[in-house]
Amino acid sequence: MPSSTPVIELRSLTKRYGATVGIDRLDVTVAAGEVFGLLGPNGAGKTTTLRCLVGLLQPSDGQVRVLGLDPVADHRRLAPSVGYLPGELRLYPELTGQQTLDLLAALQGAPVPRQRELCDRLTLTRADLGRAVGEYSRGMKQKLGLVQSLQHRPEVVVLDEPTEGLDPLVQETFFELLAEETAAGRTVLLSSHVLPEVQRTCGRVAIVRQGRLVTVRSVAELRQARARRVRLVLADGRGARPLGAAERWSPRWDGPRVELLVPPDEVVAAVRAMLAELPVADLTVEEAGLDEAFLDLYRNSDPEDRP
Amino acid sequence: MSERSERLMKRRPSTVSRRLPLVWLALHRRRRMLFGLLLGMVVFETLIVVITSTVPPGELFGARRTPPGAFKAFSGSNGDVSIASYPGLLGAGLTHPFWIALQLTVIGSLGAAAVAADVESGTIELLMTRPLSRRRLLAERTGALVAASVLLSAAATLTIALGVAASPALRAAVPEGGVFVAGLMGCALAFSLTGPVLAVSAFTRRRAYVIGAAVAFGAVGFALNFVALAWSPAAPLRYVSPFHYYTPGDVLAHGGVPWASFGVLMAVGAVGLLAAFRLLERRDLAI
Repeated sequence: MPSSTPVIELRSLTKRYGATVGIDRLDVTVAAGEVFGLLGPNGAGKTTTLRCLVGLLQPSDGQVRVLGLDPVADHRRLAPSVGYLPGELRLYPELTGQQTLDLLAALQGAPVPRQRELCDRLTLTRADLGRAVGEYSRGMKQKLGLVQSLQHRPEVVVLDEPTEGLDPLVQETFFELLAEETAAGRTVLLSSHVLPEVQRTCGRVAIVRQGRLVTVRSVAELRQARARRVRLVLADGRGARPLGAAERWSPRWDGPRVELLVPPDEVVAAVRAMLAELPVADLTVEEAGLDEAFLDLYRNSDPEDRP
Repeated sequence: MSERSERLMKRRPSTVSRRLPLVWLALHRRRRMLFGLLLGMVVFETLIVVITSTVPPGELFGARRTPPGAFKAFSGSNGDVSIASYPGLLGAGLTHPFWIALQLTVIGSLGAAAVAADVESGTIELLMTRPLSRRRLLAERTGALVAASVLLSAAATLTIALGVAASPALRAAVPEGGVFVAGLMGCALAFSLTGPVLAVSAFTRRRAYVIGAAVAFGAVGFALNFVALAWSPAAPLRYVSPFHYYTPGDVLAHGGVPWASFGVLMAVGAVGLLAAFRLLERRDLAI
């Protein structure tokens, strides 16, 4: 259960690379025990944000605090409590999987009580660990990345696109591991552009676009606010036609079928009006997916506006 | 986890050094290259010693003739040591382009691996999210480079020392301890190149720039010294070349440590190293 104590605080976090702005005045707070998602397409600034969080990048402006510490200035005090999985995981190809884990454990300077258990659960066998990492597939490397990020039982786990390259079975194991982390009161911040992953794992989500925060909402809120998909099949067999006021819901025509995304509080009125005006043969109303909610928010946000 | 696998896990000896994991990493990844370079150095210096001990210098240039001044660059001398002498010939083995190339390969390769290569490849993200200070990263990487460089100089020194010990003619021409002082000066020259190369590595994010800098410092340094010795108007240029201070021919002829030259080489290396630490503290570790 998340507590109100902030574990991660980003205040007006800005990172510039020369004239290019990577992230611009980002404000996010993540409470202890929360699984928080950073959502956005490639290039939105998710990885830059996470790199500032783990002290790899120095913010150009603003403030970052993790467990009350500055990730750059207090790096050595903070790092034992943080587990990090980079988005583009790069490993030393000459080292075996076991040597890689041993090296990272030696640098961690702390016991790694979960190493064997995590390898077993993510199906990294002894034979796999004895092979050079250069021979690993993308999925195998990602499994090794997950083991190294969790093997020392960190208080805060930062994962950049964690399910990239994992097969569905291993993804299931990953979701179980994440649930266990949360149950143990640990805080997880993950970035993703895979919406179902976020929907399944996160309590709250920050949506970023072009380095700026679009919104921070709970997944439940996003679900509730998202549009309903209204599908009509018209009896007269004719195709696209003007729909009057309903045109604002971006109708998509496919022969006599039309699909509209209608805000939840307008669904009843919209259905009534269309039944009155059109020769409706069939009608279905269903919840749109998180994808639509996300795209809707994306379409309606102007990156030039401050959230 | 089964009890058996837990027991096995506890018993499994780690191949990774727990005290100096980054030194281990740097040397382990390049162990084959280092072995090849050491072998190359031993073979090369053996050839130099064998040739020196079997060919009388008088037959090379003829009696009472002195070679042109620029040849001093090849014998590792700023003074009166001709390449047509035993110390000059042995000194040539320690200033030969092959010797320089081997040293630059170690300095360029391990210097690039110190920071820039990890930033370029992205492996720095795994290392520097551990409780590891930037100073320790650079200190361990410097340690690995210095160790490899000293090993290479030691291989050359020991080969020559054995050759001198085995040949009465060479033993008579080279003062006792001269070979080891030449080895010490070789280490000092390598350190004078190591510091600036590490500074480049700490600043840039491309390994090619670091290797390029190592080659430039070495090759340009040697060329400057050569031109300064060959062409008198350019003589003052020799002071900016590390090879002006590295004179194994003189050391092999006269013995004794040239402390001033040794100090200059070590100071240049130390300044470069200091710059490397300062530059690394301030930079971003990801692209």
